[in-house]
Amino acid sequence: MPMHIDPARFPCLSAILVSCAVGMLTIMLIPQERKRLMKQVSVFFSGITLLLTLYVFFAYDKGLGGLQFVENVQWIPSLGISYFNGVDGFSVPNLLLTGIVFFTGVLTMWELETRVKEYFALYFLLVTGVFGLFMSMDLFFIFVWYDVSLFPMYLLIAVWGTTRKEYGAMKLTLYLLAGSALILPAIIFLWAKSGLDTFSFVSLMQPGLFTPQAQKFAFLLLFLGFGILAGVWPLHTWSPVGHVAAPTGVSMVHAGVLMKIGAFGVLRVAIMLCPLGWVYWAQLMAVLAATGIIYGALAGLRQTDLKYVIGYSSVSHMGVVGLGLSTVTVEGLNGAVFQMFAHGVMTALLFSSVGYIYDRTHTKLIPELGGLSRIMPVASAFFIVAAFAGMGVPGLANFWGELLVFVAAFRTYPVLGVIAVLALVVTALFMLRVVQKTFYGPENERYARLPDMSLSLGIPRIILAAVLLILGLYPSVLFDVIRTASVPFMSGLLR
Amino acid sequence: MNWMVAGPEIFYFAAGLFFLLLSFTAEQNPDAAARRRVHLTALLIASVGILVCLVSVGMEGRLFIRAYRVDIFSQVFKTLISLGLFLIICICGGITDISERRHHEFYFLLFTCTLALMLLVSADHLLSIYISLEVSSYSLYILVALRKNQSLGLEAGIKYFLVGTFASAVMLLGMALLYSTSGTTYLTDMAVVLPGIINRPGVVIGLLFTLGGFFFKLAIFPFHFWAPDTYQGASNQVAAYIATASKVAAIAVILRVLAFAGQGSVYLVHALVVLSVVSMTLGNLAAIVQKDLKRLLAFSTIAHSGYVLLGILVLSPAGYSGAIFYALALLVMEFTAFMVIVELASDGRNLQIKELAGLHRRSPILALALMVSLFSLAGIPPTIGFAGKFLVFVAAIQKGYIALVIIAMINVVVSLYYYLLVIKAAYLLEPAEPLPPIGVSLPKKLLAGVSAAVIVSGGFFPYWLVQLAQTAARALVWKG
Repeated sequence: MPMHIDPARFPCLSAILVSCAVGMLTIMLIPQERKRLMKQVSVFFSGITLLLTLYVFFAYDKGLGGLQFVENVQWIPSLGISYFNGVDGFSVPNLLLTGIVFFTGVLTMWELETRVKEYFALYFLLVTGVFGLFMSMDLFFIFVWYDVSLFPMYLLIAVWGTTRKEYGAMKLTLYLLAGSALILPAIIFLWAKSGLDTFSFVSLMQPGLFTPQAQKFAFLLLFLGFGILAGVWPLHTWSPVGHVAAPTGVSMVHAGVLMKIGAFGVLRVAIMLCPLGWVYWAQLMAVLAATGIIYGALAGLRQTDLKYVIGYSSVSHMGVVGLGLSTVTVEGLNGAVFQMFAHGVMTALLFSSVGYIYDRTHTKLIPELGGLSRIMPVASAFFIVAAFAGMGVPGLANFWGELLVFVAAFRTYPVLGVIAVLALVVTALFMLRVVQKTFYGPENERYARLPDMSLSLGIPRIILAAVLLILGLYPSVLFDVIRTASVPFMSGLLR
Repeated sequence: MNWMVAGPEIFYFAAGLFFLLLSFTAEQNPDAAARRRVHLTALLIASVGILVCLVSVGMEGRLFIRAYRVDIFSQVFKTLISLGLFLIICICGGITDISERRHHEFYFLLFTCTLALMLLVSADHLLSIYISLEVSSYSLYILVALRKNQSLGLEAGIKYFLVGTFASAVMLLGMALLYSTSGTTYLTDMAVVLPGIINRPGVVIGLLFTLGGFFFKLAIFPFHFWAPDTYQGASNQVAAYIATASKVAAIAVILRVLAFAGQGSVYLVHALVVLSVVSMTLGNLAAIVQKDLKRLLAFSTIAHSGYVLLGILVLSPAGYSGAIFYALALLVMEFTAFMVIVELASDGRNLQIKELAGLHRRSPILALALMVSLFSLAGIPPTIGFAGKFLVFVAAIQKGYIALVIIAMINVVVSLYYYLLVIKAAYLLEPAEPLPPIGVSLPKKLLAGVSAAVIVSGGFFPYWLVQLAQTAARALVWKG
């Protein structure tokens, strides 16, 4: 992987982490009762972070490609660990996605009143870990950031959550740490096998460094480990439960960004370090992904809880990402990364809209709702836009991701591709059913006088919906970036 | 003979003697001011002790007809032990469940035990190892039994004593076997003789039995039975001492013996693998059902001993430095957790997990310290506990023990479950009736904050500590 080091450049990536960390510390220092100030501080720091990620996204030189914004500092030289950050075409979209979801997630939680300080402090810690993971090019730090982004989750769900929150939080935490139990041995295994005494990703990526046998073994561990977080069937069961239990802002980050960490980990660590293992296990990946698509769709069909519907649709949509990764083609990789971004924004918008509805009606059960589009038209519109994106309607972002993945899948796995597309029709069906039952049909008298969304609460939803629309109309904004990573990687592999 | 080399030992011997003499002058019913004076004196002496140990780092030499070895390894561990003693004395200020008249004896025994632990990490001869181990154990037996609550303390003391004497007997048998096969009682001489005969049954059994005595100290299966009952029965401060300083010394002596005598034995390593896996699995599974926080920590310590043993049994410098780092990490983490217990149970009772309810409101700083220490014990980055596990696992995988590491990682996930239950109690549960905030004095707040900061920064910037552990480990590699 070509590296472009520019020592004179402002360390943008570290600045993102510092901005999150400083935000967290500032919130912790504010007295307990100044809740409004805490929220303002949160918006301020998450806003700075969003601007930084936007800068990185647009300043990334697409002509140059490779690894940019490189920062490299020795950390523990005796083990070859370094604080090594950099972004390539795969991580740039994910950084931006995190920035967007982070910022909108803060705004969405504007009405939070209980234990505000701890909520935002933990939320910032969580996001710090996510950013760190997307930008780190050192395997040791990738693992550290992985865990940093997980353990605040337990308290975030268990304290501020809703349905079966303690169960959901515990299940989620244990599942995801079981993933790390597979990742850590695999990472150390690769380090020991390489004999280079370095955890640096760039050094370990040399082709032919690992024997095919080692690659197959390490790939399996890494794929299963990160796959748990990516919601790969049958290791997905934590995900709907966790989504439902989490408070709105956390659901957004969780489904929007955290599951992407899993897929990104599979791509970055498993696939890029063990390409031969990838080719070897690709069919397994494809079968699991297709099963996930079908299973998510069928399970979603039966749900009566709005958040469970979204939770299972996430399993299904993340299956699309997995299917894209399993095709071993440029189009598959492009589609998968695009779908990661699109799904992140879409699902954040869905959770954000449901959060608003739940805060007003105090129910997420579809049979109890109805006719909401007449009671709160604006809030309903956001949900419907996101649901259409989830169905893969052209003009919205998800269409492009799914299109590319399925084009690639048809070529590599014709049978699985057809089955998966049929399953997507089922997804569309249940999304439509939810939209119809929740937002149309007879109104529930109890909720008839509830207020519609105010402008300030609308801002985060507007941002998310706008992103979906812009990428639906100009997908090349994203594709051009992704291609700078996927094309050289695949051509290197074929050689 | 250069007596300066034994500076720390002489200092702690004098300190112990000082408290012994002081105990002759003790009044029948000392008032609070007198108790405070004793505590401050002990605190002062312990802090000077750290300085003495720090000054002596870097000294090298042999004493007592080569039976006693002072090197960088032993001096680093002595510093750790002195630090442990100092920290424990910090939380002994409000100690209530040791009879008021016995406070001098209490400190006398603490200092004697510390002295014995320091002798242990430097001992280079089977007999000096045995004697120092016994001196430290006997001090601890009495310290455990000193608890005011007669039945609990005595029961714990007797259990501890019985398992301890059994382990000592096993160890003596092992030492006899070692002597009969190798013909020497010096560890350094064994390092020459043993590699040739390492796979003889007598040697393997002798080594395993000898290690049994140390396994008792470290609470490794099958010598772990005492740990939960003793932790529960001993006063909180004494349990904290056992969990920190005593464990650190045990790790040191196992390292020393195995590094010198254990090279090249396949059977021995296999046995250690089994003990390590059983210890961590058993400790973690048993901890899940505990209601008493000290018992939970006791079982988790058994599991941690398993992880440490994993680092030792790879018998490589990387493994040794991993284990040394882990010892340091254990000291800080266990101390922080016990400090919270001591602060919460100000009347010296045993703390139940459900009593933690509402802690996040009653004392945010204690809740934070508890959470950080538990996450560190669970090995979540970026904490010092994670760095320790990481180093150990790296060493193990270098030697090809990847299956063992996967088992250990699964254990880590299991352990996270019960640590999370405790954290849940502190952050989620609300007490049945509202409890007032806990008044934590400023020094204690500082101590809690500093401990938590050390745990986190030790995970983020472990560079110097890793260097230190590697330097100390180098002294273990026998150079003929």
